[in-house]
Amino acid sequence: MPEKATADARPILSLKGIGRRFGGLDAVRGVDLEIKPGERRAILGPNGAGKTTLFNLISGEFPPTSGTVHLFGEDVSALPARKRARMGLARTFQTSRLFGGLTVEDNVYLAVLGVRDGHLRPVLNHEDSEMRERAREIATQMGLGEVLDREVAELSHGEQRQLEVAMARATDPKLMLLDEPAAGLSRTERQTLTELLLGLPEDITLVIIEHDMDVALRVATWVTMMYEGQVIAEGTPDEIRANEMVHDLYLGRRHAA
Amino acid sequence: MNISVRSAPLTRPEKIGLGVIAVVALLAPVIFSNFFLSALLTQAIWLGLVALSLIFLSSYGGMVSLAQVAIFGIAGLVTANLSEAEGGLSVAIDPWLAAIIAILVAVAVALIFGAIASRSEGIYFLMITLAFGVMVYYFFGQVTSLAGHGGVNNVAIPGIVGDRVNDPASFYYVSLAVAAACYFGLRYLGRTPFGLTLQGIRDEPTRMRALGYHVEVHRTLAFGVAGLVAALAGVLFVWWGRRIGPGAVELATVIDVLVVAVIGGLYRLHGAWVGALAFVLLDNYTRRWTPEIGDILGPERFNTLLGLIFLAIVLISPGGLVGAYESLRDRVRAYFAGRRGDVQEDASLAPPAPDGASGAAAGAPADRPNGPVAAQADVTFQRSKTQTATPEIGGEE
Repeated sequence: MPEKATADARPILSLKGIGRRFGGLDAVRGVDLEIKPGERRAILGPNGAGKTTLFNLISGEFPPTSGTVHLFGEDVSALPARKRARMGLARTFQTSRLFGGLTVEDNVYLAVLGVRDGHLRPVLNHEDSEMRERAREIATQMGLGEVLDREVAELSHGEQRQLEVAMARATDPKLMLLDEPAAGLSRTERQTLTELLLGLPEDITLVIIEHDMDVALRVATWVTMMYEGQVIAEGTPDEIRANEMVHDLYLGRRHAA
Repeated sequence: MNISVRSAPLTRPEKIGLGVIAVVALLAPVIFSNFFLSALLTQAIWLGLVALSLIFLSSYGGMVSLAQVAIFGIAGLVTANLSEAEGGLSVAIDPWLAAIIAILVAVAVALIFGAIASRSEGIYFLMITLAFGVMVYYFFGQVTSLAGHGGVNNVAIPGIVGDRVNDPASFYYVSLAVAAACYFGLRYLGRTPFGLTLQGIRDEPTRMRALGYHVEVHRTLAFGVAGLVAALAGVLFVWWGRRIGPGAVELATVIDVLVVAVIGGLYRLHGAWVGALAFVLLDNYTRRWTPEIGDILGPERFNTLLGLIFLAIVLISPGGLVGAYESLRDRVRAYFAGRRGDVQEDASLAPPAPDGASGAAAGAPADRPNGPVAAQADVTFQRSKTQTATPEIGGEE
């Protein structure tokens, strides 16, 4: 079990008693979570379990109403998203958030530029050629080599999901949060995506929210199960598959439907 | 909606057309009468510059600002006050120095406006910028020590620029040069890290934050850039009319500039001058052409006809005159592509792109093949987006 191998390492991400309230709704309630470097973690749970809210708290979209977030050993609870991104955190979005009016290459280029300096540079120079080179390289690795010059609005849904992952990858992150990367993909596309995820460098720590068990349990080595804003079970993919409660709450309901 | 500032590569007829336009623009003082040159063409140039600052913010930054006329007016007012003039302070420094200080002041104000407005979006952004516009208008109307009682008149202008009445050609060329510099400058800026970042913010500010960008700072600076363009227009305006008063920044002017930008095309920089020229020509000639139809229409009611024409343009083409032209061209191209080969779809999807290799280079031209079916693809994209979005409860997204 990889858990043991990295048991001594300091957590790359640690949530302590984190919670978030939206009006009368406790979307996330007192969640503790530790992710070790190099881990591949899946977060499962039915719709409304608070998974995406948890991601938003980790990435800094909005601050928690209670608890703290430690990223790479630092308390980042009060830091805005852009600072966390520049520390080495990358994320994808459940509904694609891409730059529809730009080409695939420009999209990945902006991801490469984001974690560097020079956002305000009003002239082109050699750095741009180098960043574009890097953008094309990553996009090609992620299976988008054929559509580099296409505008994103013209891409298929599957290509857009691949681009979501490619943009997160292009920031050379230490920790990557993937929010339902396989949402809406066909069976073939899901297989392609799974291969892409398995092919990511091992030093990138992965946390993945995914409803599709074929993708989630194949990529992950450790699984956290959420329900109504709380963590209700943790374990290896096999343990989670065998867990009765998980079945009742999630798998059972899903497969019975 | 997906805004793209890229347009298809130019066809040969288009290149010839552009060449003709360039030649006409350069030889305008020889071709046209002095009235047409100074009253219409030159006016279209500075009016187009104000619209350009609005179009830049909306097409590259996704911000439709109603404050550009205010920035334009501030630059004009400062120029008029610092130069020798009747009314206002009449500080009477060198007109060039006055213009430079005016531009700096206007850009500083634009940055302050930008810093305040950059945190809001959509209708709130529109309301905040409208408030800036109205604020500046009342300032003009009430601070008579600066704006005079009947405006600031007989403003001194630099000798080289020339009075537009006595030396229309010289004034025209100065305006043309400023306009060309702004247009090509902004086009270039669009491909630099600053410009691409701005376009990313236009499409997905949330994603940009997650990538490490400071969205508000960037929007504020874009406001400063647009402010520079509006300020240049303000200086030209004062030199052109040799006067400025509250009328220059009233709400009607704000609406005029918005109309110019919309009928020209909100998503293409050159739409600014297409719109401005159409506006100036219609404004001038509808007064004579408007037919007499009982009490409803007549030369004194030319505004009705003007309004109907603008309404028709916007209804027919959301992209304004430039958008209408582009969709017509794409249709013609798709028609001929369909007749040429059997594989119609392929031909219309990807017009032969000889720039494949050059497109790979950094700083490649922004104009790359853009399938005529882009609009259609856009619709399907939106649809698939809604279909696949997993319905989750309020807090999830």
